[in-house]
Amino acid sequence: MTASERDRQRAGARWVEERLPLPSNPLGIRGIEFVEYATREPLALGALLRRMGFQEVARHRSREVLLFRQGGMNVIVNAHADAVRESARSDAPAIVGLAFRVRDAAFAHRRALELGAWDMPTRAAEMELHIPGIHGAGDSLVYFVDRVDEFSIYDVDFIRAPGAARDPPALFGMHWFGVVQSVFADRTDDWIDFYTALLGFERLDASHFVGVLPKGRLLRSPGGYFYLQLVEPPPGADFVEWDEQLLRVGLGTPDVPAAVQGLGERGIVFVDREPLRPTERGALTQIYMGSVCFELVHSDGGDADAEKTG
Amino acid sequence: MKLEDFGMDTITLPGPLEAKLAAIRDAGFTQVMLSASDLASHPGGEAAAIRAVRESGLRVTGLQVLRDFEGLAGRLHEYKVDVAKSMLEMAQGVGAPLLLVCSTTSAHAVVDFDAQVADLRKLAMLAVPLGVKIAYEGLSWGRFVDDLPGAWARVRKADRSNLGLALDSFHFLAKETPLDALDDVYPNKLFFVQLSDFMWSAPPTAEERRETARHLRVFPGEGAHSDALAELIRALDRLGYEGDYSFEVFNDDYQQMQPALVAERARRSVEWITSHVSRRSLPVRRSTTSAVARGHAR
Repeated sequence: MTASERDRQRAGARWVEERLPLPSNPLGIRGIEFVEYATREPLALGALLRRMGFQEVARHRSREVLLFRQGGMNVIVNAHADAVRESARSDAPAIVGLAFRVRDAAFAHRRALELGAWDMPTRAAEMELHIPGIHGAGDSLVYFVDRVDEFSIYDVDFIRAPGAARDPPALFGMHWFGVVQSVFADRTDDWIDFYTALLGFERLDASHFVGVLPKGRLLRSPGGYFYLQLVEPPPGADFVEWDEQLLRVGLGTPDVPAAVQGLGERGIVFVDREPLRPTERGALTQIYMGSVCFELVHSDGGDADAEKTG
Repeated sequence: MKLEDFGMDTITLPGPLEAKLAAIRDAGFTQVMLSASDLASHPGGEAAAIRAVRESGLRVTGLQVLRDFEGLAGRLHEYKVDVAKSMLEMAQGVGAPLLLVCSTTSAHAVVDFDAQVADLRKLAMLAVPLGVKIAYEGLSWGRFVDDLPGAWARVRKADRSNLGLALDSFHFLAKETPLDALDDVYPNKLFFVQLSDFMWSAPPTAEERRETARHLRVFPGEGAHSDALAELIRALDRLGYEGDYSFEVFNDDYQQMQPALVAERARRSVEWITSHVSRRSLPVRRSTTSAVARGHAR
């Protein structure tokens, strides 16, 4: 994270604190701290993340857990046997964790449990990050993190990778934009209740659609830092294997065509057939390793967007 | 209406789970409403019970029943949340799409409407990740909620997608709830209907209603409220209800009969219903009713 990003984040935190308690942001959510993948193939996933512009900045002291970063985005690659065995339903990597930056993680956790969230299993606690979490979609967890400034959650349990930059800059201004979650048929409203009641997300109407796949329902986090897209199976697709899970991340960038070209030069292949052809609004990579893909979405920048739309 | 629209509650039948499932299936039914005790008390354990249900080929209508949940505080609340969690996990494990929840009878529950609503919301939230719906039913001897309008007031206020109503014809008839109480209910919030009748006029006290409900129910067509019951089913059809019907007939005598004979009575009851209630509405009428009714929803 750069100094200016940290300043912006602190400014964001003050902005939240000055207005608390905000009914629309009961947890003081101010962004995504990390996205966690579980995989049996950390080297292959790491190589893919590098092509996407992430750099390995640290690894866990005692477990096969790696931290990748670019700009304000952290990705944890968890290859620890327990996490992989319990979280991944197949050999393909799976998004198993989504960590929200909140004002007070203990408060956020307690409030979620009081409202009917399921506490995370002890397995996840063994990652030793000492952060609270609740059950999310499928086998995934939603974490709450409040230590993001001077002393981060990574400082205790992770060792800096030799020669790695602490805060590698983001390529093409990329930042977290959102996550796409698959849901079973007629389950969209149930999950809307989950994200609005527990986390303060707001349901958007179809006119807000962004990116290349305008389907499903869109939810916006308090403050506009992050989006969730809920997608039901397509009609008549009874034969399609469909599960409730976090499918892919969306990365915002102010210039989608430039990012598509630049990432293409780094070896990333984008789907290039209608109706998913890259446009200025968005682009979708091919599926790697059987499950991993990234969606680019036009967005001028996480926090800046938040101030405009939030 | 056809046989496929109806199922049986296991509590209606005597015997072990496998015998109940076989009797229900052999009578031509395709669905079964399970009790948590079917799974919890199975001699082979829960896994064996789930296997038996799967092997029966019957579709699971739901799982009953979570009692005395709403309105508790402190340790009692925490205890009930734990009970609810284990029942929700059981529902998910056996493939039950809904958990039946009865309005509280607890002397420890608080009268506060909003607290009861908050607890129902919490229960619905617990059910979301597991993919289970909550069907809330007003017991006719419930402490704060003893009829359909009382249950609907709380479900409506809670406004959660996976929280809806269960209507039990026994309670509806025993409390002499007027049919027009259904007019307020959004059809998509009626998740489940259970059918039974009983042999005498409406029991005047909660105690009598409870005794009758637990020991002396009979199948539709066998009881004293045949006309009212047929009228209720017609009203549900007009409302646009398209969900499942299940026979929940607590009766001490049926517990001393061969399950096949009891299931046969259930099948005859379906015949009685279909002969007294016209088939599920013609498509034109239903779509009109539903569209109007849905216009009120959410």
